[in-house]
Amino acid sequence: MSTKDDEYDYLFKVVLIGDSGVGKSNLLSRFTRNEFNLESKSTIGVEFATRSMQVDGKTIKAQIWDTAGQERYRAITAAYYRGAVGALLVYDIAKHLTYENVERWLRELRDHADQNIVIMLVGNKSDLRHLRAVLTEEAKAFAERNGLSFIETSALDSTNVDLAFQNILTEIYRIVSQKQIRDPPEGDTIRPQNVEPIDVKPTMNSDGVRKQCCQ
Amino acid sequence: MEGSRNPDHDKTSFWKKNSKTVPGRPSPKKDVKSNVKPKVVGATSFQDFQASVSDAWAMDDDDFCIISGLESTKISKKVSQSAALNVLNSHRNSTDMPVTSNEKLEAVASYEVDYVRNNRIPGRPQQLRCLNPPQDEDSESKLERFESVLANPPSLPELCKLSWSGIPVKVRAITWRLLSGYLPINLERRSGVLERKRQDYWNLVEKYYYAEHDETNRDIQHQINIDVPRMNPSIPLFQQKTVQIMFERILFIWSIRHPASGYVQGINDLVTPFYVVFLQEFILDNQAFETFHVDTLTEEQLRIIEADSFWCLSKFLDGIQDNYVFAQVGIQRKVHQLEELIKRVDETLHRHLKQHNVSYLQFSFRWLNNLLTRELPLRCTIRLWDTYLAENDCFASFQLYVCASFLLYWKDDLMRQNDFQGLLLLLQNLPTQSWTSSQISILVAEAYKLKVMFADAPNHLQSNTGDS
Repeated sequence: MSTKDDEYDYLFKVVLIGDSGVGKSNLLSRFTRNEFNLESKSTIGVEFATRSMQVDGKTIKAQIWDTAGQERYRAITAAYYRGAVGALLVYDIAKHLTYENVERWLRELRDHADQNIVIMLVGNKSDLRHLRAVLTEEAKAFAERNGLSFIETSALDSTNVDLAFQNILTEIYRIVSQKQIRDPPEGDTIRPQNVEPIDVKPTMNSDGVRKQCCQ
Repeated sequence: MEGSRNPDHDKTSFWKKNSKTVPGRPSPKKDVKSNVKPKVVGATSFQDFQASVSDAWAMDDDDFCIISGLESTKISKKVSQSAALNVLNSHRNSTDMPVTSNEKLEAVASYEVDYVRNNRIPGRPQQLRCLNPPQDEDSESKLERFESVLANPPSLPELCKLSWSGIPVKVRAITWRLLSGYLPINLERRSGVLERKRQDYWNLVEKYYYAEHDETNRDIQHQINIDVPRMNPSIPLFQQKTVQIMFERILFIWSIRHPASGYVQGINDLVTPFYVVFLQEFILDNQAFETFHVDTLTEEQLRIIEADSFWCLSKFLDGIQDNYVFAQVGIQRKVHQLEELIKRVDETLHRHLKQHNVSYLQFSFRWLNNLLTRELPLRCTIRLWDTYLAENDCFASFQLYVCASFLLYWKDDLMRQNDFQGLLLLLQNLPTQSWTSSQISILVAEAYKLKVMFADAPNHLQSNTGDS
C-alpha cells in the first residue's frame, strides 16, 4: 500500500457524467494520460482512472469514474455516485440536445449522489467553434442559477482540461478544509489522513450502510 | 451436446466413451458423476496418470477427436509422429518453459491438483497450455474433417464437438450458420430457406429502417449513430461508410424487434464477429479483413453478409436477453455468480480483490455486457465464439465460466498489485494484444473444467440454471 502513487493528503472521488458522445472519456484520458482519440470506443458501464494534483501545497489524488452515457446504464452507473464528492457534468457545445439534457443529469445526481456533491458544468469540444450550438453565456447563466461552477474545455486541443479538474478539486478541497476547521475530524466522514476517502459532509439519509467511497 | 448416439458408430462421442482410457479431455458431466464415485480406480498420482496418457496430450484439439474413432478413422502418420515428438520434447524441456506459463500453471494448481487427486479428473487444460502450438483451428487435418462432415447433412452434435475447439476459417461461415440454426441441416432445404430469410431481413429494413420513426426509434437510431462510427477505431474496415451503414441497419432492426431491451451500447461490438466471418467468406487469397475494401464486393454479396449477420446475431442474443433489459438484471446476476465462483475456486485471489475493495461489478460488467469483445483482439473473439456457438443454448452459462477462467488467468499479475488503483487499472486493460487462438483454447478448456466441476453442484451458484 505504499507505492509512490499512494502518497497523497486527500483522496477525492469524482464522477464524469453526461450524454453519450460528449467526450467524457477523452476528458479523462487527456487529464490522466494526456491522450486523445478522435474515435474512442463507447464506455461500457464505468471506467476508472486517477491522477494526483497539488492544491495549496497538498497532494490531492483524484479518483475519477467515467460513466457510460446511455440511459440503459443508469442503474449501474448510479451506484458509483455514492461517495463521490465531485461531478463533472459534461455536454457538447456543438450538440444542443446534450445541453438540454443537463437538467436530467442534475436530477440524476440529486436522486443518487451525496447532496453536497460539488458539481461543475463542462461544455466540451470548445474547439468546434464553427459548430457551436450552445452559447457560453447561456450555459454560464444556467450554471449560476443552479449553483454549479462552469467551464468550457476541449479534450482535443487540451484547452482548460487541467484547469477544470484543478478547479473542482480546489473547490472540494476548500470545503473539506473549512469543514475541518469548523468541526475537527473526528466526525464520521472527514478523514484528512491518507488512505481514507473524504466526503464533503455527512449525508442526511439514514438508510444504513454507507458504501465506502474507494480505497 | 451429449446426444444418445451409438458410440461405436460415432466418433464424436469420444469424450463419453473414452474418458477413462484417454482422459485429459475435460469430461462431460455424466462422466464426472461416475468418476466421483469411489469405486473408480485411476492413476495413483497425477504423474502416473500423465505418463499413462502422454501419447495423447501433445496433439492439438483436432487430433484428439480423431483418436475417438480409432477403429474407423485414420490418423495421419506424420501428425502422430510429430505429436509424439512434441510430448517427448515438452516433457524433457518442461523446466525450460517460459516462466509465465509455469506461473499460469500454478495459478490454478492448488485446486486443480486436489481435484485431480480426489476425483481422477485429469487436468487436460493444463496440458493445452504447455503443448499446444498457436493457431490450431486452421490445420489441414481439421479442415479435412470439417469438409467431410459438411459434405453430407451433418449431425449437429457432431459439428458442435468439432467446432468447440475452433473452426477453420474456410468453413467458419457455413458452420456458424449451421450452429446458429440459421442454415438448415437438410441440404435440399438450404438454398430455399436462406433465400427466404435474407428476403425477410430486407423486407424488415424496407418496412422499418426507412420508415418514419417515432420518438423511441429516433432515440435508438441516434444512439446507434453515435456508437457505430467509433466501434473499432483501430481497424480500417469499420471506418468505411458502407460498413457503418450496414451495422446501423442490423442494429436498428434488431432493436425494434427486441423492445424489452432495445439497443444497448456494446451490442454493436457483438455484431462484429458475425460480420467479419461472413465477410471472410467473400475475401479471397487470405487477404486481411482488417484492410479489406467492402466496396469491391457485389451488391448481392453485401446483402448476404448483412442479412446473415443479422439473423445469426439475433439467435446468439436470444439466450442473453436479460443482459440488456432494464437494470441489466442478467448481468448483475452473473456478476454475483462470478464472485461466488471465484470465492470457491480461488479464495486467495478473491480475498486479495476484496481486501483492496475491488468489487466484481467494477471490472466484470464490461466482460459480461460485451462478452469479452473489449478485452480480446477480434481474431480471438471469433475463435472464442466458435466455442460459444458450439455450446449452443448453454453458451449463456458457459460464458460465466469463461469469465472466471479469464480472471484466474491473470491471477499472478493481480496478486502482484497491492492497491485498488493498480488492480483496477490492470483489470481494465488486460494485456491480451498478442493473444492467439491458443490462449483462447486454454481459456475455454479451463472454463469447461469449472463448468464440469460446478455442474454437479448447481447449488454452489444459487441462481444458476443454465447447465443441464
